[in-house]
Amino acid sequence: MIAAPGLDVPGELRLRLADLYAAYDDALDERDWERWPGFFTESAIYKVLPRENFEQGLPVAMVFCESRAMLADRVVALREALVFAPRLIRRVLGAPCLREIGSDGMRLGCSFALFETMLNEPSTVFLCGRLYDRVIEDAGVLRFAERIVVTDATNVPLSLIFPI
Amino acid sequence: MADGGTAGAGWSQRWPEPAAGLVPNWVYTDPDIFAREQERIFSGPSWLYACLEAEIPNPGDFTRSRLGAREVVVVRNRDGAVNVLVNRCAHRSARYCMTNRGTVKEFVCPYHQWTYDLDGKLLGLPFRRGYKGKGGMPEDFDPAGHGLETLAVARRNGVVFASFAQPNETLETYLGPKMLGYFDRVFDGRKLEVLGYMRQRIPSNWKLMMENIKDPYHASLLHVFLISFGLFRADQESSMEMDETGRHAVLVSRRAEDGDTAATGQMRSFRERFTLQDPRLIDPVREFPGNATVVLQTLWPNLIIQQQSNALAMRQIVPLDPRSFDLVWTVFAYADDKPELRERRMRQANLFGPAGLVSIDDSEAMLLSQAGIAGSDARDCVVELGGRDVADAPTMVTETLIRGMYRHYRAVMGL
Repeated sequence: MIAAPGLDVPGELRLRLADLYAAYDDALDERDWERWPGFFTESAIYKVLPRENFEQGLPVAMVFCESRAMLADRVVALREALVFAPRLIRRVLGAPCLREIGSDGMRLGCSFALFETMLNEPSTVFLCGRLYDRVIEDAGVLRFAERIVVTDATNVPLSLIFPI
Repeated sequence: MADGGTAGAGWSQRWPEPAAGLVPNWVYTDPDIFAREQERIFSGPSWLYACLEAEIPNPGDFTRSRLGAREVVVVRNRDGAVNVLVNRCAHRSARYCMTNRGTVKEFVCPYHQWTYDLDGKLLGLPFRRGYKGKGGMPEDFDPAGHGLETLAVARRNGVVFASFAQPNETLETYLGPKMLGYFDRVFDGRKLEVLGYMRQRIPSNWKLMMENIKDPYHASLLHVFLISFGLFRADQESSMEMDETGRHAVLVSRRAEDGDTAATGQMRSFRERFTLQDPRLIDPVREFPGNATVVLQTLWPNLIIQQQSNALAMRQIVPLDPRSFDLVWTVFAYADDKPELRERRMRQANLFGPAGLVSIDDSEAMLLSQAGIAGSDARDCVVELGGRDVADAPTMVTETLIRGMYRHYRAVMGL
């Protein structure tokens, strides 16, 4: 957890933000997806889109959720509905950087790399990119009001199944 | 490359019998077959989907596209006409355009700065006359003979098609009256707007993508999401229709107004208690005339037009080699859509693309198909559902559209 130069961030807030990111990563790395929606506010926006769309202002996203309930629906679909070959996705994140504290919350950026391991195959780089987050105080808890996942690759290897 | 009937190592490249009901696995693996497809289908007299005109609204606007193995640049010239130029410099074959979209006055190859106008005409090249009387191009070098390779172009209601060969039929004749009717249902002349792109690389033969869309049987069994929410089910009224050649098709489904569950007993994927916490994801509104709710049109050889509830997309198939292809999704709307309808389209896009709650099943099924085919070139796929003939059918329990595609394929490929 780092802060942009000139931004005065109390030590306790830094720790709370670091805990939020660590707990989120822990849930996903342990494939405990049911915990995932809880890191978001009720009306949170969660999107995954290629940098191509992001930079040109094109609104379509590969994943486009507008509520915590939609995130929960994604998890149910992943558990109950989708048919896919067994695989693991390993997440590696850089240090989240607190870039701005505004009236609508704290804005953070963070780079990520995802590695994919199909059963019995060697691990490969799946996707890498940048997370653009907005975190707010939500009933005494820090939660994501927005997580925009921007992938560097315009081209996804086969399927994007798990939350990022 | 030899004509049909070449014997390979340990297997016969002869179409199995009964021919209409079987597809040999070697059509999904053989590099010679792939090369012949590139030659006869993608470089042959086919109209290939290139892009939407909405991507290049003004003079000088360009977008890149891939038609089979070759990359092209689609550009609007000063007169408003659309040119499709191969992205290969006439000098040393360098790719001269490196970005997906933009606006230019001319194309300059970065390697030696050969410069072309928007019609692909060679405008000039540095040191053509040499330097101080030495070097330069021969006296008889004619710039008129060194323009960019251009393709035949056909446009209809905002959609651009191109061909490496000069097809002996117009786009309208190529599609045929029945397919044209379905095409015009979505592309009715209204102005379009591109909402964004999704791309994915699928490790399977490109024809399996076409088969997937021509196969309503799987859709009513594999896709828990569609089945459980009644968005697409075998017990719904439907029709499978083709053009006269069998190369193009539509899969039409009409959603029953009441939730008929009579056939769900045979659908192992049906989840009675599967509910959504936020039902906006599957909340379609009727917007097209008639009672069809899903119309998936496969236009040979590289386009799927998707109208699935309010989710509209072009899915462009780009074959890479026998075992992989890129699927490029261009998600679009009508320029005059109300914001509420546009939001619906964006939300329903969750069902499609590389992360689609429906499309993931398809991508993964294609992975499984190619994996199963590996090492079994001498074996065949069976497509006998609904009989061995090729005819339109008012049911989802049929593979007639796949048979139609391969009937055409065999004729073109000489197999």
